[in-house]
Amino acid sequence: MSTIVPDKKNAVGAATGARNLAIYLAACLFVGFGLFPLYMMITTSLKTDQQTFAWPPVWLFTPRFQSYYNALFVFGGRSADHYLFNSLVVTLSSSALAVFLGAMAAYGLARFRFRGNRDVAFYILSTRFAPPVGFIVPIYLMVQRSGLLDTQIALIVVYTSMNLSFVTWILRGFFLEIPIEIEEAALVDGYTRWQIFLRVALPLVRPGLAATAILSAIFSWNEFLFASILAPGDAATIPVYLAGFSASMNIDWGEYMAVGTMAVLPIMIFTLALQRHLVRGLTFGAVR
Amino acid sequence: MPRVEFNRICKTYADGTRAVVDLDLAVADREFLCVLGPSGCGKSSTLRMLAGLESISSGDLVLDGRRINDVPPQARDMAMVFENYALYPHLRVFENIAMPLVARRRPRAEIRERVQQVAETLQIVEYLRQRPQTLSGGQRQRVALGRAIVRRPKMFLMDEPLGHLEAYLRVQLRAELRRLHERLGATTIYITHDQEEAEAVSDRIAVMENGRLQQLGSLVDLLDRPINRFVAEFIGRIPINMLPARLAGDGQNLQVGAAMMPLSGAQSAKLRSGGTDPLTLGIRPEHVALSSGSAGETISGLSGRVRVIEPQGDSTVIIADTPAGRVSALVPSGCVPSAGEVIELHFAMDCAHVFGADNINLLRAARNSE
Ligand SMILES: Nc1ncnc2c1ncn2[C@@H]1O[C@H](COP(=O)(O)OP(=O)(O)OP(=O)(O)O)[C@@H](O)[C@H]1O
Ligand SMILES: [Mg+2]
Repeated sequence: MSTIVPDKKNAVGAATGARNLAIYLAACLFVGFGLFPLYMMITTSLKTDQQTFAWPPVWLFTPRFQSYYNALFVFGGRSADHYLFNSLVVTLSSSALAVFLGAMAAYGLARFRFRGNRDVAFYILSTRFAPPVGFIVPIYLMVQRSGLLDTQIALIVVYTSMNLSFVTWILRGFFLEIPIEIEEAALVDGYTRWQIFLRVALPLVRPGLAATAILSAIFSWNEFLFASILAPGDAATIPVYLAGFSASMNIDWGEYMAVGTMAVLPIMIFTLALQRHLVRGLTFGAVR
Repeated sequence: MPRVEFNRICKTYADGTRAVVDLDLAVADREFLCVLGPSGCGKSSTLRMLAGLESISSGDLVLDGRRINDVPPQARDMAMVFENYALYPHLRVFENIAMPLVARRRPRAEIRERVQQVAETLQIVEYLRQRPQTLSGGQRQRVALGRAIVRRPKMFLMDEPLGHLEAYLRVQLRAELRRLHERLGATTIYITHDQEEAEAVSDRIAVMENGRLQQLGSLVDLLDRPINRFVAEFIGRIPINMLPARLAGDGQNLQVGAAMMPLSGAQSAKLRSGGTDPLTLGIRPEHVALSSGSAGETISGLSGRVRVIEPQGDSTVIIADTPAGRVSALVPSGCVPSAGEVIELHFAMDCAHVFGADNINLLRAARNSE
């Protein structure tokens, strides 16, 4: 008897082992598939043209940073850092605004009962039903009439309004999950609504704030259509600048990929930095 | 000084639940009032209206002569212990307890000193740096208690503050709460399920059922002079015996099964004036005595066969089957019959209650008037 049991266990162990291995390989394949373009972009930015176009591909080479140098200091006109800076300003401002305004709206929708509460919440979400292209002409006209064409403010306002609806919707769900007693305790302890919002509610929806900040930032960072139309010149963001490369007759692949790498880096760092706040369950155990 | 009056307070929730109905209750300054009642009877609703967390559907809530129905909770200066702790999960225990003081902008040194003092009282000093999620239920409850008593509020509102503690700590902390009450003198309203606890801490006990206040008084009042059948059945360590009965012999006797229980003059007068026929005799097990012997010797005894014997230390609960129904008796552990034995049950009729068809205790004032 006693010898059979461990045998059986081993058989089961081997089966799950094989299964795990299969899942692991599939995951590796998937990740590889996703990361390969990134790999190509980064290596190309570090290669010479001969290395880039060599066949068979050159896997091992000494990296050179000439392309980065060229993109930042040699190219005529505004260089890549100017547009990176534009992107950074637009992205950070619009994300911060969207998350802050959205959090206030969401808190109100989650905590105050008023007539049409649910309708308002649904209306806010519904503003995302139509494709943004549909609004491009009226928005262009509004921006033009206010004299904001080719300014960062135009993009910040447009991106904030676009992100606001989903930020509000997502955060409303997070606020609804906070046990109401926690806020009631704060009321009894002597805090005003506004203090409770800042000191109790916001810290408790930190994962939601991080998630919506990441999503807003990625959207604003990558947005091309509105950026190319509302701010095609001095205030252009990095996607618009990058698009300029493919328009020219012969593409400097090294420089193109160097700018691409620099364009991906900030948003990656931002996402990784906020990602650790995405842990759930902070409110767990607060209430019986 | 704080004196609270509930004047015909009603609470009807949005879904139509009538949680509190026509509550009239005055809590004196410095009083420690316990609210007892079965689950869902509206205890928490009452407390939450007092705290300002729940709107009042109708009636007036008066604090020190001022109507406070519409005063927001922040302005009422009451400290509350919630049924489910409601600690701040993102703050450490220290900060949790300090929150009410921070809201009042007390100096930092004072906050530290007072939190420390409260933590010592509640024996939670070693958890001050932890977050609530890492604490056990009992520890959390003590933190919640600490957050309330760290202030010097006008009133304490406590919703089963000791409900999740082990017996030893519960007894210790309720003594502590009582001492605290005597020292600070803050009016306290305290919800509990535990009669013994209610008796130990409170000046008066309010019994609620179905959103209505049933009776207000000391535990002795509630035990000896229950206003109705509900209070009689709800209060008492061992459930009261309820037996169908009817007036017999010109109202001189109460007939229970085949037995005749003699009534005093005052009792029979009350029953004859107020009694409509289906009557119920309520007699506490403490007031039932035994004599073993053959059935039917005396007319005042009810004979029965012993079914269950539950030793409870000094005394023992005997449950016997009689023609009138099950009857339990509390007897000294020295003279316990054996199971299956036929015994005679004698009721101390001067401690009996008789309930009419509307469940009102017809003899309520009996012993006052005699
Ligand atoms: N927010 C609410 N909406 C609707 N009904 C409610 C609400 N809160 C409580 N009730 C109902 O009101 C009644 C009284 O509830 P309450 O919480 O006051 O009872 P309780 O005496 O505190 O009970 P327990 O001893 O279980 O805590 C119950 O029937 C309950 O279901
Ligand atoms: Mg309750």
